[in-house]
Amino acid sequence: MSLVHRQRAKDKWYLPGIFSGMGLTFRKMVKNLFNREQMPTLNYPEQKFDYSPRFKGNHVLTVKKDGSLRCTACMLCATNCPAECIRITAAEHEDPTVEKYPIAYEIDILRCVFCGFCEEACPVDAIRMGPEWQTPGVNGSEFVYDIRHLAFRPQLKGGIVSVVDEQERHKAGI
Amino acid sequence: MESKILSEHYDNPEFRGLAGYKRLGGYEMLAKALKMDRQKIIDEVKASGLRGRGGAGFPTGVKWGFLPNNGEPRYLLCNADESEPGTFKDRKMIERAPHQLIEGMIISAFALGVHKSYVYMRGEYVGPGKILRQAIDEAYAAGLLGKNILGSGYDLDLDLYMGAGAYICGEETGMISSLEGLKGQPKLKPPFPAVQGYLRKPTIVNNVETLAAVVTIIRDGAAGYRKYGTEKSAGTKLFSVSGNINKPGTYEVPLGYPLKDFIENECGGLKPGRKLKAVVPGGSSAPVLTVDEANRATLDYESLASLGSMLGSGAIIVIDDSNCMVDVLSTITHFYWHESCGQCTPCREGTGWLHKIVDSIIHGQGNPGDVDLLVKVADQMKGRTICALSDAAALPVISFVTKFRDEFEFFIKEGRSKVTGKGPTHAQMHH
Amino acid sequence: MPKCTINGQEVEVKAGATIMDAFYQLGMKEKIAHYCYHPSLSIAGVCRLCMVEIEGNPRLQIACNTVVTEGMKVDNNSAKVNEAVKWGMDFHLINHPLDCPICDQAGECGLQDQYMAYGKYEPEMAERKVKKRKVVDLGPRVVLDSERCVLCSRCVRFTEEVTKTNELGIFNRGDRSEIGTFEDRPLDNHYSVNTVDICPVGALTSKDFRFRQRVWLLKNAESICTGCSTGCNVNVFFNKEGVFRLKPLYNEKVNGYWMCDTGRDTYKPINRDARLLDARLSFGGDKAQAKVEYMIPLMGAKKAAEWVREAKAANNAKSVALVLTGQYSSEEYESIVSTFKADVGTDQIFHWVNNPESFESFDGLLFRGDRNPNTKGLLQTLQKHGVMDNTWKDLVAGLESGTIQTLVVAGPLDFSVFPDLQEKLALFAKAKRLVWLSSGKSELVDASSITTVQIPMRTHVEKHGTYVNHSGIAQSVKPALSVVAKAMTLSEVADVIAGRNVKREEASSPIGKRAQNEFTTQRGAL
Repeated sequence: MSLVHRQRAKDKWYLPGIFSGMGLTFRKMVKNLFNREQMPTLNYPEQKFDYSPRFKGNHVLTVKKDGSLRCTACMLCATNCPAECIRITAAEHEDPTVEKYPIAYEIDILRCVFCGFCEEACPVDAIRMGPEWQTPGVNGSEFVYDIRHLAFRPQLKGGIVSVVDEQERHKAGI
Repeated sequence: MESKILSEHYDNPEFRGLAGYKRLGGYEMLAKALKMDRQKIIDEVKASGLRGRGGAGFPTGVKWGFLPNNGEPRYLLCNADESEPGTFKDRKMIERAPHQLIEGMIISAFALGVHKSYVYMRGEYVGPGKILRQAIDEAYAAGLLGKNILGSGYDLDLDLYMGAGAYICGEETGMISSLEGLKGQPKLKPPFPAVQGYLRKPTIVNNVETLAAVVTIIRDGAAGYRKYGTEKSAGTKLFSVSGNINKPGTYEVPLGYPLKDFIENECGGLKPGRKLKAVVPGGSSAPVLTVDEANRATLDYESLASLGSMLGSGAIIVIDDSNCMVDVLSTITHFYWHESCGQCTPCREGTGWLHKIVDSIIHGQGNPGDVDLLVKVADQMKGRTICALSDAAALPVISFVTKFRDEFEFFIKEGRSKVTGKGPTHAQMHH
Repeated sequence: MPKCTINGQEVEVKAGATIMDAFYQLGMKEKIAHYCYHPSLSIAGVCRLCMVEIEGNPRLQIACNTVVTEGMKVDNNSAKVNEAVKWGMDFHLINHPLDCPICDQAGECGLQDQYMAYGKYEPEMAERKVKKRKVVDLGPRVVLDSERCVLCSRCVRFTEEVTKTNELGIFNRGDRSEIGTFEDRPLDNHYSVNTVDICPVGALTSKDFRFRQRVWLLKNAESICTGCSTGCNVNVFFNKEGVFRLKPLYNEKVNGYWMCDTGRDTYKPINRDARLLDARLSFGGDKAQAKVEYMIPLMGAKKAAEWVREAKAANNAKSVALVLTGQYSSEEYESIVSTFKADVGTDQIFHWVNNPESFESFDGLLFRGDRNPNTKGLLQTLQKHGVMDNTWKDLVAGLESGTIQTLVVAGPLDFSVFPDLQEKLALFAKAKRLVWLSSGKSELVDASSITTVQIPMRTHVEKHGTYVNHSGIAQSVKPALSVVAKAMTLSEVADVIAGRNVKREEASSPIGKRAQNEFTTQRGAL
């Protein structure tokens, strides 16, 4: 199938197109000037949009009550990750009931596509996606998040629970 | 009526020593047998219809016939590892008439061409072990064992081996493993012991009572032995009776004797005011019989098999109406969980599972589906393992749960026994 | 030769063969669930999963201990069998901790495989699981997790029948049974990691491989072990980070199902950490003033060629000597020896025997004192070219008298099997120039006191080659991966020295990324 473009008079004479476009711009400008409440844009970064707490932004590694990571380094998240941005190094834990734990857990957030598959794959609820979405950094290395950042960043905010207790989970029926 | 063929002199304390045993006619049959043709003895045993008294009821003569004639050394082992809950007849036989067993073993060993024989005795039988040890020493001293027995030119060494008290060592290949110094667990069959048994040589394993009965067969002949019992279950048998009964103990009656009469006459009936509720006719592994079935049953292999149970080792456990069947089953499942050797998965895990389910019922934590689950699990354990322990654990569960389903359901629903009304706090804790 | 029918397929087996043998013969071993059966161990018959239905037999039989009889019709696909296997699985799983996320066996676990094939049911076990010991140190290389164990007794039978060391046993009974060792007798035989391989579940894990990678993130390729002259067939497991482990591959003529623990470590010199990455030209002398030039391997080879040319130009080709170790492939020997004979024009070719005192020893199972994969191939090449008579004494004499000035050494690919390295390097330092060919980096060579060019070599997993084992079996290997892509083979160095066009062997798929993330493209199939 081929499309045949026939030039119409409106397209041939450019001015009508320009004026109708300018008209739209001015109409909106005037409307927004006098009705600022309903203006859909925000003055970012002074103003920020409130996302739903369920928004899937930056990752959080959850911890147990004693402050240790819940992650068992099973690498299912890394396996499931379509962007291959998760890198885990496992090690033997002193406590035989814990057995395996990550000594390094890195997420290359620049590669991450925020699909949430890691969260889905996790058998122990150790990784969750939080509502944070502003992730500035001054150089590349700041975009590779390590355990310290993922689990213990001080500015973690937005209602995500980073401390997950086994008994509370069972009570909640998870 | 009791027919005391084997146990005629059991109450006579003299019978236990060699002198007394000889005075009462002992070892005469040995002298007779040693002059007989070996094949003649085997034929006689075959013709007598003697069946293994240990539990399976396999015709002894046929078993003997399986021994290959390849010139290899062969062994006769006597299974005195009597560990089936409810069974204590072998113990009585050894305590009261150790020489009867020895004589039977010498005759059998002679017939089979065996020169080395062992008695494998249950570890807990310390007393009977001492008695038998003493009897063996006596027999050696009298020239009844060792080289050139009674001048016949036949040699036999007989030794006693004490087990360590594992139920599974009563299974013939488990017993052979234990005797070889290995962990007492059954061996894979085939090869069968008659072909490759003890030390991988042809081996015959017989129960104490079976071997003792050989003496009477030599004495009375096959026809004389067949006077007792039925066509297919010939002879007499010792029954160990226990449970809610007035006169528990060991009784010798001809096979085919009605169970109801046996309980009422020989065993003195139930305690006053009690009604019969169930009978386990052949040791704890035999499926339980209801009153109705018990009234119809006769004490022989066929009758009990037709009722879906078995004669087993002849251990009759009488249960009256004061007992809670859940409680009884919990004792049985605990026993099999404790005794499973752990080799085959269905038995290792299944016995534990059954035990845990029954245990949780008795602790008031049963689930509504547990009754069906018990039957399902037990069903899948049947016939899936190397030896019969798995079946032994599964069969009572199936029979208890199907025949007394109401009691189990009541316990699960109410958290207390339907019969005794006792709740979980009174239940025995098994862990 | 009885004939039987298995799932409708007719097969003729040897007399006395079992149904399981017939399944193996048909290549259908994946079709029949089994844990305790292992073709080279005795039959235990305890897992009770290989249930089959035999026509005319009301009871299901186990395939591993039922001998095939003429005309037997066997079916392991019937509803009855599937039901039995499903329950068999359930019995295996009721006390299994199901800690797959942290279990190293996950991905190659018998329980996972059989569950996907027969299970997929809702568990009915509501009771508490039996607790057993976790992370039990069995020996220097093996860790036990009793809870995961299915008590198939393969490992016990292995120590009983193959190594005959009897370290392992099953203790206790019933569902309290556990694998264990006796006090003061750890599982420390030379073949202990085989127990990890034959363990159908994650009960036995190798300390070396433990937690280092998930198995599904590894690829594998067939190769041989270069740890000794037996040449066991192995599967090399690797990913973009390097090689992680070796597992034996069945070869009836060479190693059967096993390999030794020493051989398991032969992957370590392959990995990048141990490797020489560039050619390195050093001029000896004082450490402080030592000048080192780094160059690509080809340039290093050209340097060596230049030295050889100089010797030839001075009409003194005999001052160039070649020292060979038994670490390279037959093709490489052929190429370098013929180059030295024909193009360089020297017959000063010597065989470096790394451990002469234990060279002939043998442990009775697999492990041999000759710790080179291809000594036999080297000797064959030397014989072919008539340079067998050169003894090590000749080399020593030549070096001491100064007749040998330029030394080309095809050195170790695995330094750990060369205990005499330092001593030999001291000897080589008597020459003027040393061309050192090796895959690994060594501080001893770096500290060489004479002008030395080190050229990185490829390891056996990075090139084509034939290795002749102690009994004369020639085994060809294909490249599995490429760790140092620039590294050269001995044949390439020979080409450079002879001034021929270098035929670069195509580097196999370099250890790069997975082509695509197969785990996400196959979503749902997992």
